[in-house]
Amino acid sequence: MRLWRFKGLSMTYFAGIDIGSLTTEVVILDSNADMLSYSINLTGADCNEAVDQALGQALSRAGLSRDQLSFIVATGYGRVTIPFSDKKITEISCHGTSAHHLFPDTETVIDIGGQDSKVIRIDKEGKVLDFTMNDKCAAGTGRFLEVMAGAFRVSLEDFGQLSLKAEREIPISSVCTVFAESEVISLIAQNQAREDIIRGLHSSVVNRIWNMVQTVGVHGAVTMSGGVAKNRGVVVLMEEKLGKPIHIHTEPQIMGALGAALLAKRHFLQEK
Amino acid sequence: MTKTQMTRKDYLLDQKQKGRHIFGVFPAQYPKELLWAMNVVPAEIWDPPVEITAANAHLQPYICSVVRFGLELVLEGKCDFLDGFLFPHTCDSIQNMASVIHDYIGANKPCYFFYHPKNPHGKAAREYYVLELKNLMRSLEKQLGPLNPDALKQRIQQGHKISSLFGEFYDLRAKGELDVGNGEFYEQIRRGEYLFPDDLIPELEGFLARNKGKGEKRLMPVILSGVLPNPPEILTLFDELGVRVSHDDLLIGSRRLLVPPSNLKDPFKQLAESYFSMPPCSTKGAPIVKRREYLLSLIKATGAKGVIFNVVKFCEPEWFDVPNLTDELKKRGTPTLVLDTELNQGLSGQMKTRVEAFVEMIS
Repeated sequence: MRLWRFKGLSMTYFAGIDIGSLTTEVVILDSNADMLSYSINLTGADCNEAVDQALGQALSRAGLSRDQLSFIVATGYGRVTIPFSDKKITEISCHGTSAHHLFPDTETVIDIGGQDSKVIRIDKEGKVLDFTMNDKCAAGTGRFLEVMAGAFRVSLEDFGQLSLKAEREIPISSVCTVFAESEVISLIAQNQAREDIIRGLHSSVVNRIWNMVQTVGVHGAVTMSGGVAKNRGVVVLMEEKLGKPIHIHTEPQIMGALGAALLAKRHFLQEK
Repeated sequence: MTKTQMTRKDYLLDQKQKGRHIFGVFPAQYPKELLWAMNVVPAEIWDPPVEITAANAHLQPYICSVVRFGLELVLEGKCDFLDGFLFPHTCDSIQNMASVIHDYIGANKPCYFFYHPKNPHGKAAREYYVLELKNLMRSLEKQLGPLNPDALKQRIQQGHKISSLFGEFYDLRAKGELDVGNGEFYEQIRRGEYLFPDDLIPELEGFLARNKGKGEKRLMPVILSGVLPNPPEILTLFDELGVRVSHDDLLIGSRRLLVPPSNLKDPFKQLAESYFSMPPCSTKGAPIVKRREYLLSLIKATGAKGVIFNVVKFCEPEWFDVPNLTDELKKRGTPTLVLDTELNQGLSGQMKTRVEAFVEMIS
């Protein structure tokens, strides 16, 4: 544990590092839990390199150096690979913590990440009460949408917007990413409208997540996190299913790292 | 080499050399005492460490890995040294595997079948069970010679002793007064799957003497439910996370090991009474209410903070009950985690995350 003293005042800074399968995010907070900076980088094949890069960027944007950090929490699937973190906490607790911090009325969190999806129920204090995660395959995750966007040769940003322009929905029968891609290619060959196919793909993801939502149940306000929350096509369909609007932070991809940073502050104070 | 140091295979070969008959026994419930009395060592086949290749040709993709591993073991010729097989009618998949081995492949050794009443609370259930015990005895006698009634009584007494020792294991574990990690605890429990009672009893007594009264009480108590603690890495993870399995509702564990003794004079009626007094089990068609009550009693007795259902993928009897049990427990404020596991596949990062998140949740 480190304590940084600046002009006679105790200044403490905290970092949350979320090492996901596709991207690594870092959030730096000050002692008031105000976000000083964040960074998002591709994880690639070397977790440690990705962390060094992402942490370096975030620290540089905050005007800090690594030794000024008082407590670091690592989360995400690569959390075990970070030797210098003070604590490792699962992304489930981190997403619950950040959702509560940003939107205090949240009781249900839907996180759709690169290769896994989660539905988390939290209490009024942000503590996890229940959760569920997707199966071992990538159906219903960001990776599924990325592969499908690739089949249409459109960017992920445009992919969600195209879904909203559909006149009808062409159902996709396969939930397997590989088989669904073949199905999509067949539909393209049949000259089906791409917007209608894309709408079907978005529905497929939402239906998959909806099964998980029903396992945990919908309670209170719903917050969505993870990169897929940037996809309007998914969000609109999910809001239709829920029958209510979803809270989404301006940068939903950093919510795991933000939760980790908030928990870093909490653990620092507890240990102090 | 002592029996404790021997591998399972070496032990069984040693027993064979001593003139005992070695039977491969598939899960789950069967009258061990009857086999012991006929000088048979039952070697249970649950999750042998083999690579599944040949078995896949005989089984549909939705068959559980207990059956898949068991059939593979037979097909690879690793059961050739056995003197017979016993197939209890535990579920449709084991029943069908028995048929594949006996009727289609040809086991080239005696095969015995043991049918339990699937409506254990019906009036005729006990009578039926006693008849099945006697049918099994008559079948075995054709291969092994007549049953010695005194030997059966002696083996029933040993069965009571073993159950009482396992009961002490669980009581100490519940109180945090057994100085072993989760892995070591279940390793010892599972030695009962193949050790002859003459060897098992002193081993269990030695284990208790070495480890009694020194346990870590502060560890987080949880109940483990399901078929068996596999992948074994999950037990190591519990140790790392400071979790103590304070009791279990496992098919290889408390559901079979905690056998209440009977004072009836007729040994067959004794076996029947004990069978029907054991903790409720999905494979015996136990009513869901009984299973729920059992789990709640374990939670209350051990102060468990949650229940982890570690269920073998495609295990029909277990999966029938899981949604109802988790709903009921959650309604009563007990957190639950459901893991869908393939045997011997190690612990995936995702599974590890689920367990860690659950522990964070109940801490």
